[in-house]
Amino acid sequence: MAAEQINEQKYHEVWTKPVIRMGMITMLLASALSFLPLIYLYMVHGVLPPFAQAMTAWVLVASVFGAFYVVEPISYYPILGLAGTYISFLSGNISNLRLPCSAMAQEVVGVEEGTKQAEIIGTMGIIGSVVINLVGVTLAALVGTWLIGIFPQFVADAFRQYTAPAIFGAVFGQFAMRQPKLAPFALAIPMTLLYFKMPIWLVILAAVFGTIAISRVFYKMKIIH
Amino acid sequence: MNGAGASEYISRRGIPFYKRGNGEEREVSVLDEVLKVANSMGAWLTAAPIVIIALVQVLLYYRQIYHAADAVNLKPEQLRKAFHTGMVTSIGPVVAIFIIMVGLMSVIGAPMAWMRLAVIGAAPTELTAATLGADAMGVKFGGEGYNLQVMAVSWWTMAINGVGWLLLVGLFAHKLEDVREKVGGGDTKWLGILSVAAMIGVFGYLNSRNLTKINGPFVAAVVGAVSMIVLLQVAKKMPKIKEYTLGIAMLVGMFAAMLY
Repeated sequence: MAAEQINEQKYHEVWTKPVIRMGMITMLLASALSFLPLIYLYMVHGVLPPFAQAMTAWVLVASVFGAFYVVEPISYYPILGLAGTYISFLSGNISNLRLPCSAMAQEVVGVEEGTKQAEIIGTMGIIGSVVINLVGVTLAALVGTWLIGIFPQFVADAFRQYTAPAIFGAVFGQFAMRQPKLAPFALAIPMTLLYFKMPIWLVILAAVFGTIAISRVFYKMKIIH
Repeated sequence: MNGAGASEYISRRGIPFYKRGNGEEREVSVLDEVLKVANSMGAWLTAAPIVIIALVQVLLYYRQIYHAADAVNLKPEQLRKAFHTGMVTSIGPVVAIFIIMVGLMSVIGAPMAWMRLAVIGAAPTELTAATLGADAMGVKFGGEGYNLQVMAVSWWTMAINGVGWLLLVGLFAHKLEDVREKVGGGDTKWLGILSVAAMIGVFGYLNSRNLTKINGPFVAAVVGAVSMIVLLQVAKKMPKIKEYTLGIAMLVGMFAAMLY
């Protein structure tokens, strides 16, 4: 017990604290740097978004995505952990890249879910995915138009249309194996809500926290362990 | 401003397409002059810092993990394995991002596509934001009247949208850790189940949109799931293939959808 506590404290010192500091600084810096291209447009071309229309656009875009600013970090947090959340929300592509890579890293190393080890290993998997991601988008930016020619049209179409569904299915299969009794609920809840045309942010919340609530009940009833 | 400056730009260039995930095609054309600025050196230079921040952030965390590994009894080779698995697993999805990005580049320019896809957001999100920016100016995105000032509003809208996630996570993510500790209540077994339940919940939602009717995405999802389950069983006897399972399952799912 004593050893466990010392570890806790050390973990806090060498992991949690620096992770929060680095996370806050990089996220706030990234927020500010997001507007840099606009400064270029103003300085060099003398063009500025008109204030009224800029505010209108802000309202429009926030009404479409605003709920996700809150819902996504909360829903993904139990999986990504602290550092994983900072990285994933800076680098994006969370569902198709960060979550699968975090899960696979944990699967391959063989750590127990929800532990501190799992958090660190998952974070390492996410870091690996960011490196490849940055290489990919930089290549696309520099030579993409030229390189796209090497993909036959049907291969390019397949990647465009089916990568996300295939990877979503595969990750679901991977975790459904872990807790088969939760899987039907995880599909039934969002499908029902989608049928009734509920807003997407509500569907995400209900799917994640509904499944967690059911797992809590099943755990207490010793149906799953 | 609406459309007034359009007559200055007579030459227009037809931009082939941007195909959405649901296969719907939209015709987008952007005025030459505007695209020239969108692809200028200045745009590259001002797009670069945020991409560099994304890289610096992971390098910082990478180093910190090596400092922290001791405290949780993780060996360097386990860390290397995790890093390697992350890279291998991401290859397939990154190829998809690559292909989608080339489409996006033709409508918002290479530097912006590079910047926006290196950070939070994905192609459909950015395209929606850019379009809403033009809407606010009363101009069709990439159409008649899409001049520099309208593009500035498009850029602004993409930026302010991404900042929504960046700011909220930057300011409040550490509060979520407190919530998790409270919900977990020190019961490590329950914390494990909670993580798995959250994962099943998220991916239940992500799949639900593809399972409402039997089509290509449906086949990709179902075949992807079945192949993953089979591959993980095989990997129990051949641990070497384990880190490739998700990549292979994805390709099998995609291939099946193409045949369908």
